[in-house]
Amino acid sequence: MGENFVEYASAFFETTVFVYGSGLLMLYAMLAILSFINIRLFLRKESYTDYSVIVASPLAPGISVIAPAFNEGLTIISNVRSLLTFDYPNYEVIIINDGSTDDTLEKLMTEFSMVKVDFAYDVKISSKPVRGVYKSTDEAYAKLVVVDKENGKSKADATNAGINIAAYPYFLCTDVDCILHNQTLQMLIRPMMEEEHKRVIATGATLRMANSCEVDEGVLIKIRAPRPLLARFQELEYIRSFVLGKMGWSYINAVPNVSGGLGMFDKEIAVKAGGYDSVSFGEDMELRLRMSRYVYDNKIDAAVRYIPTTLCWTEGPSSMKVFMRQRTRWGRGLLQLLLTHRAMFLNPAYGRVGMIVVPYNVFFELLAPVIEFLGIIYYILLIYFGLVNWPYAIILLIFVYTYSVMISTLAVLWDQLTFQYYRNWKDVAMIALMAFVEMLIYHPLIVVFALRGYYFHLANRKHSWGNMQRKGFQKKEDKPKVTPAAG
Amino acid sequence: MWRDLVDLLFQAYEQFSLLPLFIEIALAFIVIAILATIIAYGAIMYKRYKSYVHEKRVAFIGPVIEEMITEQVLLNENLGRDIPTEEIEFDQAALNDKVYKKPFVRQILIETLVQYRKNFRGEVGDLLRKLYIDMDLQKDSFNKLKSLRWEKKIKAVVELTQMDITISDVTILPLTNSTNPSLRAAARNAYVQLSKNEPFKFFDIATEPLLPWDQLELFKIITTTKDIAIPNFSRWVSYSTNKSIVSFCLKLIAHYDQQSAIPAVMELLNNKDHYFRADAIACLGKLSADAAEEKMVKIYNHQPLNCQIEILKAMGSIASGRHLEFLKSEFLYSSNFDIRMNAARAIIRHNTQNSRMLVEELMEMTYEENQLIIKHCLNPLIKY
Repeated sequence: MGENFVEYASAFFETTVFVYGSGLLMLYAMLAILSFINIRLFLRKESYTDYSVIVASPLAPGISVIAPAFNEGLTIISNVRSLLTFDYPNYEVIIINDGSTDDTLEKLMTEFSMVKVDFAYDVKISSKPVRGVYKSTDEAYAKLVVVDKENGKSKADATNAGINIAAYPYFLCTDVDCILHNQTLQMLIRPMMEEEHKRVIATGATLRMANSCEVDEGVLIKIRAPRPLLARFQELEYIRSFVLGKMGWSYINAVPNVSGGLGMFDKEIAVKAGGYDSVSFGEDMELRLRMSRYVYDNKIDAAVRYIPTTLCWTEGPSSMKVFMRQRTRWGRGLLQLLLTHRAMFLNPAYGRVGMIVVPYNVFFELLAPVIEFLGIIYYILLIYFGLVNWPYAIILLIFVYTYSVMISTLAVLWDQLTFQYYRNWKDVAMIALMAFVEMLIYHPLIVVFALRGYYFHLANRKHSWGNMQRKGFQKKEDKPKVTPAAG
Repeated sequence: MWRDLVDLLFQAYEQFSLLPLFIEIALAFIVIAILATIIAYGAIMYKRYKSYVHEKRVAFIGPVIEEMITEQVLLNENLGRDIPTEEIEFDQAALNDKVYKKPFVRQILIETLVQYRKNFRGEVGDLLRKLYIDMDLQKDSFNKLKSLRWEKKIKAVVELTQMDITISDVTILPLTNSTNPSLRAAARNAYVQLSKNEPFKFFDIATEPLLPWDQLELFKIITTTKDIAIPNFSRWVSYSTNKSIVSFCLKLIAHYDQQSAIPAVMELLNNKDHYFRADAIACLGKLSADAAEEKMVKIYNHQPLNCQIEILKAMGSIASGRHLEFLKSEFLYSSNFDIRMNAARAIIRHNTQNSRMLVEELMEMTYEENQLIIKHCLNPLIKY
């Protein structure tokens, strides 16, 4: 009977893994096709779009740019200057000093002639208390608002304070040290304004690594593929995730999340949904789910859209320690939010979010590391008991390897079809070739760190948010400032 | 040798057919994945090479085209001599250069001319148009208009519009109602610019929505195109069944300060759609429609929050002073923060002796949060 049970169990496991693996491969194939269609559609539209129209239009909707800052004294001035250069007629920049212990606030006050003002606002969503709101006496910085608040130990808490103060109907959420393209606002507001029958509640665009780029005073001078191996893997991962994944999901209105580094939101819906959850470890996706929940509950026909243009460059973790912390947090956040929103899982009342977005995240994001890990254990046991059919096993391994290389290479191709950000051939080769070693070096790390995150959540381990230790950008001296082209 | 190869393949197939199905599938996918990866690399290389060649060609031909335009148009010796543009002749040898027969060069030439015409009006603009016609470039544009691809049609419409070439109503009007939003918007923009008699005729027949993004360009065209006969937009406010057209007309009414449209806009205060009512109230505010103030106060209590806020804003713009007590009571007794904020702002915007006295009085009699609201509204550094 015991032998029978083992046989049944192994047959069940093998069948499940086979079905699961086939589903995953088919899903990636589907995403590759959908993203290709969507990117082509986007490029066709872009070929005649004149963005200068919105730049001079009195009808341009107002946008609040919200950027929390914690101990960013070293770079805060150039970062804020960069945020003040958007090519858009109607916006404000809200910098949230989230209880910094360095000289972030003092530097802002001195550099931008800020004074404390009597600022009345309604606390629509909760955050730690605000100590003061500052405005500039210099007309040149009239768009700038600085909010000083008690440290809330999360970006979500700081952003919530910014949303409460935001004056405009849309807000752009970003990190103060992200480098944003100066056309970001006009390009992200467009999907909000051109959807025919749906209310677009959030939009996002592609993010890339800024690790080896040349940056001067918060402005990107030269785009380069990251040199450090870890950042290069992340670059490939981002290209695959944004250009291939999110563009594919966007085509069928099933975008899983809008990145915390760059996302524009409909303020009314975000506020009514309760804003960011300050205790969530995956606050960006959590907000996306909660906003969806709100619109479905209130019978609002809504959409979340992505564009393939890279509008944000961010410095990725370059040390293994920081990378581990980041991915552990992401893993923990995923488990936490899927447990919170479990009522949406396969619930037709939540439309595509309930039937596609949440199940996709459960099966192919949350369970993937678990299944991979169990698969490896199972494999080791089979090897130990001498039950492996090696020719078949090798064929299957080659199959998975070649398929993953193909998907990543297609993502690079889609990216190259869209915009050729790298002027240098070597940069393209450097990224594309990562696909051949990613599965062997980078992917196992992702699996282990995700499992670590799940374990931390289940064991209720304390997580310190910590500050992302950044190395800063390469600075090119004596070169004229240019703004990178969007196309 | 061929026979050996065929035998070998046959044997391989026999071996393959003996394998379990999932291994057969895996092997097939391995071949597909390897081929797709190789093709993807080839495509990346080809795409980059193509871009490189394109850049080189543009870098070569661009200056040639610009030199020709400079010589033929910008430095044309007949400019400024009161000679009608139609009678100015170009150097035919330059125009008939075989380089301008190539489709690639012709397209760059069209794009360059369109760009120049955006920057030059008057005699130079007319001469650029003549060059476009003399080189038969409008035929290229009209050919594109016949294309089945919508983005090519849009390109053609934009080129013809920029060069002020008439497109017949039979061709353009159906496009203004195209189900493709992008083509529809381009056609509508073109129609307003090109139609000499009734540039707003498509407002009458528009069944498809005028999207907010498309409104941006149309608004710019209407408000910046010279010699366009601006109608009374209240006509569509009263009769159009297309909500987006009505909403757009409200913006135009406010922009052109069409006071005669006030009665028609006031009719919208009875509309069932509260977003629509809010737009109408905002329009009345921008028109400083004194006559509408009474009605707005009357309907105020039955309105949803967005309409109430718009009414308060409108009262701040109208600033008749007749309803300061109403604003005061909203400021003092409303439980909603936004209502209090907008009521305070409306009182301050009156900027009269009475309103200033009222502000002082409110500062003394109200509680801390309301005092903060007043200080906020009075602070010139805070715009919103």
